[in-house]
Amino acid sequence: MRFIVTKAGYGSERIGNLTGFVKCPNVVIETPTSGLFTQGGSIVHLTADVLARVFTNPQILVMPLTNSIQLETGVKAQNEGVTKFAGLPEHVACVTVNNFSEIVPPGHFEPGKIPLWTKHGKRMTTADKYMDIMEIFRPDMFLAIADGCMSVNETPKRLSKAVDRTCKLLNTCVDRYKASKELKNSALVGVVVGAQNQKKCDECIENILKHVDCISGVALEGITDGTDLLKEDTNQYCDIFKKIGGALPKELFRILEGCWNPAMTLSAIEHGWDIFDGTYAVKLTNMGIALKLSFDVTKENETPYLLDMVDERYKEDFSPILEGCECLTCKKHTRAYIRHLLNTREMLASVLLSM
Amino acid sequence: MKNTPKALSFTVQSQCLKTRARTGLMKLPHYTVKTPVFMPVGTQGTMKGILPDQLEEIDCEIILGNTYHLGNRPGVDVLKKAGGLHKFMGWNRALLTDSGGFQMVSLLKLAEITEEGVKFRSPYDNSEIMLTPEKSIEIQNCIGADIIMQLDDVVQTTFQDYDRIKEATERTSRWLDRCISAHQRPTEQNIFPIVQGLLNADLRKQSAEEHMTKDVNGFAIGGLSGGEAKDDFWPMVSLSTGILDNNRPRYLMGVGLAVDLVVCVALGVDMFDCVFPTRTARFGCALINKGQLNLKQKIYESDLNPIDTDCLCETCKRYTRAYLHCIVSSETVACHLISVHNIYFQMRLMRTMRENIEKGTFPEFVKQFMNEVYPQKTFPSWVVNSLSSVGISLE
Repeated sequence: MRFIVTKAGYGSERIGNLTGFVKCPNVVIETPTSGLFTQGGSIVHLTADVLARVFTNPQILVMPLTNSIQLETGVKAQNEGVTKFAGLPEHVACVTVNNFSEIVPPGHFEPGKIPLWTKHGKRMTTADKYMDIMEIFRPDMFLAIADGCMSVNETPKRLSKAVDRTCKLLNTCVDRYKASKELKNSALVGVVVGAQNQKKCDECIENILKHVDCISGVALEGITDGTDLLKEDTNQYCDIFKKIGGALPKELFRILEGCWNPAMTLSAIEHGWDIFDGTYAVKLTNMGIALKLSFDVTKENETPYLLDMVDERYKEDFSPILEGCECLTCKKHTRAYIRHLLNTREMLASVLLSM
Repeated sequence: MKNTPKALSFTVQSQCLKTRARTGLMKLPHYTVKTPVFMPVGTQGTMKGILPDQLEEIDCEIILGNTYHLGNRPGVDVLKKAGGLHKFMGWNRALLTDSGGFQMVSLLKLAEITEEGVKFRSPYDNSEIMLTPEKSIEIQNCIGADIIMQLDDVVQTTFQDYDRIKEATERTSRWLDRCISAHQRPTEQNIFPIVQGLLNADLRKQSAEEHMTKDVNGFAIGGLSGGEAKDDFWPMVSLSTGILDNNRPRYLMGVGLAVDLVVCVALGVDMFDCVFPTRTARFGCALINKGQLNLKQKIYESDLNPIDTDCLCETCKRYTRAYLHCIVSSETVACHLISVHNIYFQMRLMRTMRENIEKGTFPEFVKQFMNEVYPQKTFPSWVVNSLSSVGISLE
């Protein structure tokens, strides 16, 4: 897999291409982009058939191991990789560790092990075990396992330990990666943590850059534990996006996990972040909220961009969520219908909002 | 017969020479439906997470809505303003609504039935509501389905008291007259009467014969599939289809298991509905000819086959039993995938029956089907007896 910056902006923002996927050599995914968040290997609420009605081109599937580890036995038996097993072989998988659309419990560390909070409880996982699973999943790209789950206000001691642990875990991942035949078509992504502490963060980045010959991208963790970020809009985060973005070589693609609102996402794009994890859309859907952004810069957007579809006001509103939107939901269904589906707790509501 | 344009025309296309099975075309205002047909149930104006486009692609031609639920939410006003349920839910093919009476009795233990109607307390706001035949038709006129049901006096199928059953049967006939005269849109919607009489042959005969005298375009057979023994069930179906004439469609309410569908098509039924395929999907069960697979079971953990190797549905094309096993208890996607398969399974079974009736091979198909379901030839007595009543011998 390759990443090329095709156009750099006036600031740090950039347009890039992800290409050279072995299973789909002609595919070009343009960045900045948002991946589609998965649970158990499937796009949340959308079957492959329905997904094909929304996107005709391949998408990045963001697959946290915490909610997909149960696929291991089946993927291994089939031996054709995780996307094929999950019924989405034409798409590109990016395996991550944690699901940042939910709060991840803190703590529970043992030397050399990271807790994975799966639906069947906590599973302590070593870098070797993690790489074993990656060799079975054979994703198009995957994050190195890291100690990246903490809030932005962690103590210096915790940050320091997280960086040390993350560096060690990366070194094991790199050794395994270099020796692995199964992963020769998978891109390895290093993880930066400790952004709140200049010195420790530099250490972390330095360690990643040591392995730059086998690392294709970098993901930023350690600034959220999945706590609700929807209402936050603080400069603290923007400064981190800027600082880390500036410290990374331009040829590495950059992944930002977490449930960021559109303003925060734009700020991250401004500082050169390329790939987002899609949890924002999932979270809104599960809250019954529709996103209404027209992306038309010629029009001043005066109306709110989040519509709470359960609200009584949409009861007899027979207009689409967004006039002129080309998605199947907007083309065929009304606000009143979606409100009715939410009100009666019908599953189609989530399907329509996801689209 | 009045000289108004009809909202339904039914033409028999072919008739099995041995059994009562037939194929037909039922032309309705929104769609022409091929019978025998299975109608999936979309209670609240949606089919359990499946898009209307997907339903069309799996060949659903007519689906059900529940008047009781729709009348509460979104309510008559919203449906009226939306221009009917078809427009509200984005479904362009045919719709059928029930009368709302069945839910009263099944959901609400406190319902009180009088000559005027069914009195009950709303589970939404606890107010007292009276559902009369007129009210039921008024709501169904707003919903705008192609076929609407009369309000009937529902008694639990296994109920034994003759006087109460007789009262219910006769009241159902009186309510039919009230429904017909309350009906405001006879050129766009068809009222089907419901043959009652539970398991009493005389009352059922009386009910069917009385309905036959009415100016209606089709009939429903009700009061069955409520927990009665199968040996009691099939003679009532047979009795009803024997009386109801051949030129109008016959709808057996609440029946949807594969074996029941095959037997009842042989007995001359044209239309069926059942919540079973979508309900069982929500519990992780996928339908196959031999019964169902409970995908939650660990035996599927490494099973790389599709649910059914011969099935061409979107689920079987892409997904293995092993994958469905992994997500069946946690992801809504699993429920959607199994629902798609299960509805497709029902549609495929009906299509296969229609093809065999048309080719003149229906009796052979029935034998082959039963042998597949019961490979040890342990046919239940009711299957043997019902089929032998229409000239198919299994043994």
